[in-house]
Amino acid sequence: MNTSPRAPDRRRRWLELALLAALLAAAAFLLKDYRWSVIRDAAPLLLKGLWNSWILTLVAVAIGLPVGIVLAILRLEGARPVRAAVAAVVEIIRATPQLMVIFWVYFAVPSLTGTRIPSWPAAILSLSVIAAAYLAEVVRGGLRAVPPVLVESGFATGLTRGQVLAHIVIPQALRTIIPALVSHIVMMFKITSLIYIVGITDFFRAVVLINNRVFEPVPLYTVLAAGYFVCCYALSCAVRRFDKEAARLA
Amino acid sequence: MHWSVLATYWQAILHGLWVTVQITVWGGIGAFVIGVALGCLHQLPGYLLRRAIDAYVEFIRNIPAVVKVFFLYFVLGWEGWESAVVGLAIHQSAYICDAVDAGFRSVPREQAEASWALGHSRLEVFRYVLLPQTWTVSLPSITNQLIEVLKNSSIVMLIGVQELTFQAQQIETDTFRGFEAATAVTAIYVVLAFAIAGATAWFERKVARR
Repeated sequence: MNTSPRAPDRRRRWLELALLAALLAAAAFLLKDYRWSVIRDAAPLLLKGLWNSWILTLVAVAIGLPVGIVLAILRLEGARPVRAAVAAVVEIIRATPQLMVIFWVYFAVPSLTGTRIPSWPAAILSLSVIAAAYLAEVVRGGLRAVPPVLVESGFATGLTRGQVLAHIVIPQALRTIIPALVSHIVMMFKITSLIYIVGITDFFRAVVLINNRVFEPVPLYTVLAAGYFVCCYALSCAVRRFDKEAARLA
Repeated sequence: MHWSVLATYWQAILHGLWVTVQITVWGGIGAFVIGVALGCLHQLPGYLLRRAIDAYVEFIRNIPAVVKVFFLYFVLGWEGWESAVVGLAIHQSAYICDAVDAGFRSVPREQAEASWALGHSRLEVFRYVLLPQTWTVSLPSITNQLIEVLKNSSIVMLIGVQELTFQAQQIETDTFRGFEAATAVTAIYVVLAFAIAGATAWFERKVARR
């Protein structure tokens, strides 16, 4: 049990950094004999993959967030059947493996309609569906966190339902969900790795393809893990910053 | 729509279901054991140990599950099934560790201090004061993580493990009846997810009643 709540002093920080450096040095020593030139030669494809992963993430969130807001409002404010339908769809998508959602968009629905969807629209559509379902829940949490007093006083000053939503509820809800939103962007970034099955060269697929060609799994997978870690960790750190700011403001 | 395709392939789907259930159960148990152990160790006073667990959690959480499974399969050269179970267990253990830690943090520090003041040992305080109170906070998030193990188990089809999603894809390539296969498989996943949620809700009520 942690009995000392005081912040780590400077000596501990240095010790920690020294240990981290030692660990990295040990890792570098263990890995130094592998053919790292593979990475240099494949750098353009790796960077292209990383870029595609980011694009897919951002586009999916850019489409998924507005859709998620609409779904959240419908689930809270809609007529009873609408509410039930939205709740069912969101819960089913959230309970389905993400790979299965991609499978639905890329394989299942085309097999019914008879026309194949090209891989990029399929990737963006499936990731947006996933983002919308997860973000709908995040937004719903934010909407419910807005104090009812504010809504009531909005009505009391003569605003319509739509005005209360647009000017009072949504802006405040969005502010409270920023940390959750960013951690869902991290989640979406990790999910883009599953786009592998539709054949888009994202970061993950780039590494797998290069490895099939040159068969140097150790350097390639080290770079893969490092790449994902750096991108996601940077976002996670940003979340924590936001969280602290929000805590200070509250 | 040709639902008869499901009648032809029911054995494949059943086999896929069995593999998915096995991977989920073993992966879930592994994740639970590692996660709870790390979450409890995180409460020990040692500063470096705590920071090491923090580092583990950060490292695991920021890398997609599929990367871990592929690492075990292609870099370490493990069997498909082992890579699947161990990869998923390690991946979700970090989230469960976090959930357990949140449970401990939810118990007011004064309770532990009061118990020490009464002369109870650290272990006694941990076992009888802190641990029983963590479940109400951490169990819902642990449930979610177990459902995540189920959902993430679909990615092991990429290394050729023949679970449900693999079977759906197989039926699609064999017969071009992806819609029917996807409907059946998705329904199974949703039922399994709700079953996990229901089971832990039952367990939660039991724990709460005690």
